[in-house]
Amino acid sequence: MRPLAMLAALAAASFVVSPALAEIGRVKSNVGAASVSRGGRMLPVAPGVQLEPGDVLVTGRDGRMGVTFADGTRFAVGPNSRVTLTEFQFDRTRQTGSFVTSVDRGSLGVVSGRIAKSRRDAMRVRTPTSMLGVRGTRFVVEVP
Amino acid sequence: MTRGGIIAAVLLTLACTACAAPQTLLLPGEDGHPVGALAVLEENGQEQVLDAPLRSARMTAGRTSLRTVKTIKPAYQRLMSGLPPAPRSYTLYFSDGATNLVPESRAVLAQIRADVAVRPGAEVQVTGHTDTVGSEEANDQLSLERARQVMAVLAAEGFPADALSAVGRGEREPAVETGDNVANAQNRRVEVIVR
Repeated sequence: MRPLAMLAALAAASFVVSPALAEIGRVKSNVGAASVSRGGRMLPVAPGVQLEPGDVLVTGRDGRMGVTFADGTRFAVGPNSRVTLTEFQFDRTRQTGSFVTSVDRGSLGVVSGRIAKSRRDAMRVRTPTSMLGVRGTRFVVEVP
Repeated sequence: MTRGGIIAAVLLTLACTACAAPQTLLLPGEDGHPVGALAVLEENGQEQVLDAPLRSARMTAGRTSLRTVKTIKPAYQRLMSGLPPAPRSYTLYFSDGATNLVPESRAVLAQIRADVAVRPGAEVQVTGHTDTVGSEEANDQLSLERARQVMAVLAAEGFPADALSAVGRGEREPAVETGDNVANAQNRRVEVIVR
């Protein structure tokens, strides 16, 4: 790149809005009735929508949602589901953190990411009757 | 409660635990990766561990029962097919230690662009890595600065700003293991993760 273009790029970079600190992941796909409940408000979802700690992923009878988190964890939310992103802390430099999800209703498919690798049971999934410690990769949780 | 009432209550409880208890199923690792493990953490500090493919737990309050299923039921297969694609990592190299891409990395940039195009809501995380010359703190700073410079290059190349982020990993994740204070060009690199 020529020096002038380089300068322009650097100038542009100073205006690049870094993702909000609160951002923990983004919606990648949605089908049917699917939304995010944040502070009691229902927000419509679309690919690219940013998620924050405390968000609740909600789907209806024909709804599905795919989400990828900052640590590489991936979620598939099934129909008739309610999944709360209770806690998500991730140090991007050290790649360590903690991640607690509550499956209140419905089904959730998971491929875990960096947080689950960072420390034993750093990633946990709660159901109405139990707490799961995630020690690796692919699983399904269903709450009828 | 009458004896009949007690029996009815017990039967009702059994029926409900059979039909409505939360369940979990551990699946084989993705793309040939080894299976991981799940632990059902009990309140008394005990745990029941699922660590083989298709191990399943049914979890009622205070009681967990494990078994191995033969097949993944269609509803679960359908669920897992809705997962977003796995993040993919690309490595870029720079000729002058700054921001001039080596010619080979031009082709990699084209691959990144093509990958972003097929992922709805794609994100591009630029992660800087250093070699082990200098202190850990200085390398954290250096790797973040490098990542930010590359992020600026990608923005100038037309990647949307709100999809870009920069991370500095310092010397924590070398491509090649070396001792401390060893200069290594392979370790001075920028990884671009598309997710």
